[in-house]
Amino acid sequence: MNPKYVAYTMTAIAIISVISAVYVYAYYEGKIADMRSMISDLQSDIANLQSELYKYRNLTLVDDRGYVLNLTSYPNRIVSLAPSNTEILFAIGADDKVVGVTDYCNYPYNFSAWIEAGNLTSVGDYWTPNIEAIVVLEPDLILAAFAQEEVVNTLRGMGYKVLVLDPDNIDDILKDIVLVGRATDRNIEAAILVNNLRHRIDAVVSKVAGATFTPKVYYEVWYDPLWSVGSGGWEHELIEKAGGINIFADQTLKYFETSSEAIIERNPDIMMFPLGHGAGPPFWGSFDQVKARPGWDAISAVQNDRLYTIDADIVSRPGPRIVDALEILAEIIHPELF
Amino acid sequence: MINTNGVETTYSERVSRWKLMVIILTVALMLTIVLSLNVGFAQIPFSTVLKILAKRMPFLGNLVDSSNVSYVEEAIIIQIRMPRILAGALVGAALAAAGVVYQGIFRNPMADPYVLGVSAGAAVGASLAIVLGIGFTLLGVSTVPISAFAGSLIAVFTVYNISRVGSRVPVTTLLLSGIAVSIFLSAIVAVLQVIAGERLHIIVFWLMGGFSYVEWKDVWAVLPLICLGTAVIYFYARDLNILALGEESAQHLGVDVEKVKKLLLVFASLITASAVSISGLIAFIGLVIPHITRIMIGPDHRILLPTSIIVGAFFLVICDAVARVIVSPVELPVGVITALSGGPFFIYLLRKKKESYAI
Repeated sequence: MNPKYVAYTMTAIAIISVISAVYVYAYYEGKIADMRSMISDLQSDIANLQSELYKYRNLTLVDDRGYVLNLTSYPNRIVSLAPSNTEILFAIGADDKVVGVTDYCNYPYNFSAWIEAGNLTSVGDYWTPNIEAIVVLEPDLILAAFAQEEVVNTLRGMGYKVLVLDPDNIDDILKDIVLVGRATDRNIEAAILVNNLRHRIDAVVSKVAGATFTPKVYYEVWYDPLWSVGSGGWEHELIEKAGGINIFADQTLKYFETSSEAIIERNPDIMMFPLGHGAGPPFWGSFDQVKARPGWDAISAVQNDRLYTIDADIVSRPGPRIVDALEILAEIIHPELF
Repeated sequence: MINTNGVETTYSERVSRWKLMVIILTVALMLTIVLSLNVGFAQIPFSTVLKILAKRMPFLGNLVDSSNVSYVEEAIIIQIRMPRILAGALVGAALAAAGVVYQGIFRNPMADPYVLGVSAGAAVGASLAIVLGIGFTLLGVSTVPISAFAGSLIAVFTVYNISRVGSRVPVTTLLLSGIAVSIFLSAIVAVLQVIAGERLHIIVFWLMGGFSYVEWKDVWAVLPLICLGTAVIYFYARDLNILALGEESAQHLGVDVEKVKKLLLVFASLITASAVSISGLIAFIGLVIPHITRIMIGPDHRILLPTSIIVGAFFLVICDAVARVIVSPVELPVGVITALSGGPFFIYLLRKKKESYAI
């Protein structure tokens, strides 16, 4: 072989490889530059998001009474003044922040055992929470509820951060869960929970939409005097969403005093009686006693033996278990669909 | 030489004995207030309580080492216990003073500060504010006490005008129209309770009375009214003595009966209304404290009035301290404690007093 050709070939190969190397380098250099700019874009995106997040951290919260509360940091010591608030806090995973509950809080855990063991503090009962017991806990957030105006005013006067959760309907309850999620840095957990609850509500609603008959429902809040639910609260909404008609839908109050006559006249097809656990015998006695109330044998529900009990806690507490109540009610009202 | 032993003592001797009595009772009241600062859900050592108090005193403040006093302890003593204890003392004093006045004017041992409808009027005012839910706070002030105060004054004004005959206000008519108006207003409260719906609980707890959520601003709101009212009443203590002889005799002795009666009624009602507006309805104090002090010290209003004021304050402060801790962390309504403890004590005093007892 002529060494000359070898040299040419080698030179050609060398030139070609240098050119291709340069080309490849230039190509990837361009790519790398692109990627670098992408990275820097992403970095600025992240910075933007972080500043957004930081803005979000300076939380401005509005409670159910329209009170505006500014949080500068997420709370670490939360006192719950109502069983429903406790249930929300535990359902969204903020349980490790809870330092005080009421004597009425009994879900999702047996808190009285925790309190006895010294792992949690009771701040008294729901109606008259003990201010000193709350202050001793050095709370950085207090979740109050309905009918606690006095204690809320006093605590706010002392500079404590208080949110009042006092919803009127199911939508408000879900909004309150989101609010508590925002307040406790459990946004995602709260969103997932609310989404899940909405799906379950929708499932019930679409299921009972196929019902051919909408029974009239009576819900007893108290006996002697007789109290039932008007359209002002979520109990009414639960009955209607579960495919029933609240016989006292024309009453605008949440709870109101009524009479045997009114109930007999409205002639409900189904009667619901709450059952509190561990609270002694139910206030309404037994179904035999209910059926023996004067004149009640004329009521359709009594004649057809459609008297039911339901866990008072899940119905009366504006927390996540309200949807359990809805599902149970729907099954009671429309057994044919479940 | 007149031997005063066993004989009526002279006036100056009595006055010096009274002074001593008032000083002793005042010291006892002060001690009770300080001691009751120690009572509550939170366990705060008494030395800490004293340090917190001393820190706020002029001069003494610099001498005390309060470095180990926590913010929470200070908040509990200064912002929670102090206002409620002072409110208790003020309300007890006001109700006892008003009780003395009403019993003196009506010359009736059954009379109490609520006899002219103050309590029923306050109940209507408070229930109305609760049922209507007037925001609960208006310009930063709670609407319930304000409307209770207004309600009680309107009620008394109505009773007074119903019983007025020309320029005179006969006590029998006053007493009866007080009862009538009270019954009428109680019925309105009952109606409000029925239509209150889920707010019923708030009304019930207000009616039971108590100091659980008293703040400093409540104390400052009623302090001037109660001080002014009791001062004016004390100024007329002598006239109350003369009124005890009967209105006609008093008139003959140169007392302008109608004027004195009006003034006393106005100021007694004012202090009762002030007291009720921050505490709710606390029964028993205004009825029984005047009797207890009368048994202890005699019927002369010049000493009966100041002593009743101090004893009333003393008694209510102690009852509130008991109410705070007896079933802790739940607080009992203080009216329950006043009746439970005061009732038997009163009966004991009545039985012990051998001679017949009259106003």
